[in-house]
Amino acid sequence: MAFLTKLREFSAWHTVAPPLVFFAMLLVVGVFNSNYLGPLGISIATASAAPILLVALGQSMVLNIGSIDLSNAAISLVGAILLAMTIPAFGVGAMIAVLALLTVIGAINGLILAYTHVPSFALTLGTLGILQTTALVVSGSETIYLSENRELVTTLYSAKLFYIPLTFWMGVVVAVAYWVLLRLTRVGQNMTAVGKNESGAILSAIPTKWVKVIAFAISGFTGGLAGIAIVAQAGSASASGLGSALLLPGIAAALVGGTSISGGLTNPLNVVFGALTVAFVPIAIQAIGFNAAAQSLVYGIFIIAVVTLTTTRTRGLVIK
Amino acid sequence: MTQAYPPVLKLTRISRSFGKVKAVNNVSLQIDRGEVIGLTGENGAGKSTLLKILAGIERPDEGTMEINGKVANFRSPNDAFKAGVGVVHQEQSLFTNLSVAENIEQQNQSRMGLERFGFQNWKRINADAAAVLKKIGVNLDPKARVGDLSFVDRQMVEIARAVCVEPGGDGTPLIILDEPTAVLEQAEVEVLEREILKLKKFASVIFVSHRLDEVLRICDRVLVMRHGVLTSDRSTEGVTKDELFKAMVDDAPTVSTHARSSRPIELKPAIEVQGLTMKGKFRDISFAAYPGRITALVGTNGSGRGRIMRALFGAEEFDGGTIEVAGKPVHNWSIRKAVAAGLAYVPAERKVEGMIGGYSGTRNIALVHPGEAARGQILRPGKMAETAQSWFDRLDVNPNNIKQPLDQFSGGNQQKVVLAKWLNSSDLKVLMLDHPLRGLDVGVSQAVNAEIRKACDHGTAVILIPDTIEEALEMADEIIVLRDGQLSARHDLSVASDLAIKEIVAEMV
Repeated sequence: MAFLTKLREFSAWHTVAPPLVFFAMLLVVGVFNSNYLGPLGISIATASAAPILLVALGQSMVLNIGSIDLSNAAISLVGAILLAMTIPAFGVGAMIAVLALLTVIGAINGLILAYTHVPSFALTLGTLGILQTTALVVSGSETIYLSENRELVTTLYSAKLFYIPLTFWMGVVVAVAYWVLLRLTRVGQNMTAVGKNESGAILSAIPTKWVKVIAFAISGFTGGLAGIAIVAQAGSASASGLGSALLLPGIAAALVGGTSISGGLTNPLNVVFGALTVAFVPIAIQAIGFNAAAQSLVYGIFIIAVVTLTTTRTRGLVIK
Repeated sequence: MTQAYPPVLKLTRISRSFGKVKAVNNVSLQIDRGEVIGLTGENGAGKSTLLKILAGIERPDEGTMEINGKVANFRSPNDAFKAGVGVVHQEQSLFTNLSVAENIEQQNQSRMGLERFGFQNWKRINADAAAVLKKIGVNLDPKARVGDLSFVDRQMVEIARAVCVEPGGDGTPLIILDEPTAVLEQAEVEVLEREILKLKKFASVIFVSHRLDEVLRICDRVLVMRHGVLTSDRSTEGVTKDELFKAMVDDAPTVSTHARSSRPIELKPAIEVQGLTMKGKFRDISFAAYPGRITALVGTNGSGRGRIMRALFGAEEFDGGTIEVAGKPVHNWSIRKAVAAGLAYVPAERKVEGMIGGYSGTRNIALVHPGEAARGQILRPGKMAETAQSWFDRLDVNPNNIKQPLDQFSGGNQQKVVLAKWLNSSDLKVLMLDHPLRGLDVGVSQAVNAEIRKACDHGTAVILIPDTIEEALEMADEIIVLRDGQLSARHDLSVASDLAIKEIVAEMV
């Protein structure tokens, strides 16, 4: 434990831990099946990580202000269904309109939070339910297949750059953009300040209500991008299909990427590796040859171990 | 009160330091059975630290403490409670959503018979609470929800909780009331006074208060502290308020207005308040702060001066009166508008409100007035570091590391950065400071005061809530005295020649 404590106190640790963990896991799996070390492994890991990454990036922006967004994966799913319905008729215009709509839904979450003081956990648990029903109603509980303009979206998944699908590259671009936002703009600096100490932020004249609206709007927008990634991968969308179980992997990826669940600490670039790790664990478990029944168990233990490694000890005795 | 019993409390040469500051310095005292002792002194005189030692929250560096004849080495509040010391804290610590009985039982550590087969024995809990309430002569329903009670009734529950202490054997409980009257109305104070006289029958009481009238009325004996030292220990019979003032404040009873810089008195105030009122907090406050002048708000903790300052900054609501900034009345006043109008506020709660602890000095300084370090929304890391470095150098912040998270700095160095955050404005109109020197040593205090004066010389109006009256006299051009939420006196130091500290103290209490 002493070693672990020392490791976590090492100042640069939290910036290097998430990539280290991912590459270590890749190596271990490579021992069992060397195919994973080559293009195949990269391709599989990044392809399955793309939707998780996008959801996790939105989540980490919300976690960074000290809140949580339990509805963002449901936003992605509603987005995927709307996209599958509208792309055949409207093409790129549909994508822009759906992204705008989902950004507004996220902003509404933020507005309710800012003006009613309902805790974000409770509030977004509520919007999660509303959006799940919306997904069922809009889709008529059926799978919606893309007919026209199909390749317009699916190319994002099938076209690869260095063996990595464009959907994942989209996540990387977004991660870089959010890194710049947080580190190099006043609004980003204000977001982190709110997450670190909201009272201090209020008395420093930071518009904390706007900060919340913007963070949740970003979560909605990024959820929409995840919706595009889902449709690109499946060529269809349904309320129970691909993307219906993104919420918890999204949170796990944010945490494995070193985001603090109590706010004020995140690095979107590391969330990329958090998402890769979380997406790769089930693949690794299969590759190593664990019994299918034990997969969830191993997955659970692994997540706890990794979060222990990747979080920093900044909060002292306070444990949430 | 025969000498057959050992004293309830005996302190021998107790000391406690924080850094270089001796908060409690070589205090010896004795309290006998059934005595009611008043403890008074200015803010920062060491009363709170002494109480914390008695309550097991702080441990003394030196000296011995005996309770009911036994040497006491408290390691936690629970130890103090078991030894028979019950404390009614300044800030009420009750659980408002629980019943009176539950609150009393929560403190009761023995819990004998309060659980039956692992379940709460409600009958017993309520009966025990009723017995305690009867013992202290308070007529309250044990089943009433504490949140529904009036403030003074809640104070009674606090007292009931405190008297549950277990001194053991034939020991006497010691009940400490830390400024219980600060927030009470006159009628409520009388209820509390009667209660203290009832406690006398089975306990000894330490009553901490700024209000000398009350102390003289209720107590048998009065202790006065100044700069951590016990300066007076006298029977209340025959002692005058004047003698107590002398013990509270430093020996030099009057100060001449020292050579104040020939700051020109401008006719236009930077900020002016008229009849500012917040129901139950402060009433009909009118004053103005002028560019290049320092106005000190002086009063006790319950005087409302902190709230008034927060109201000026838009951080607290008010329901009557007007605020004018640069001659224009303000509407829907908020912190954002205040800062946009050139106001700054250094709060007393430095760690919680003054700064973002997890952020570096660079980030903290760039937070409000980034100046050159931001072009619109875009931050310029080079300029940010340059700005922070120049402030760290100018204020001699130690360690001189602009990247280190601020919560790793000492209080004094944090305060320098908090100040820098506001002073980095090119257009600072009003600088408001609530206890800016709290917890700072002499050197840092001088550095902070020098910066305040410098801002003043550049035409900023300063409003200051000082720790002590001496600080007010040293810094201010005008002193405004507040008592119980009302303005009780004002002194223009640029005109008045000699002003007695005790005169100001008399206007405060």
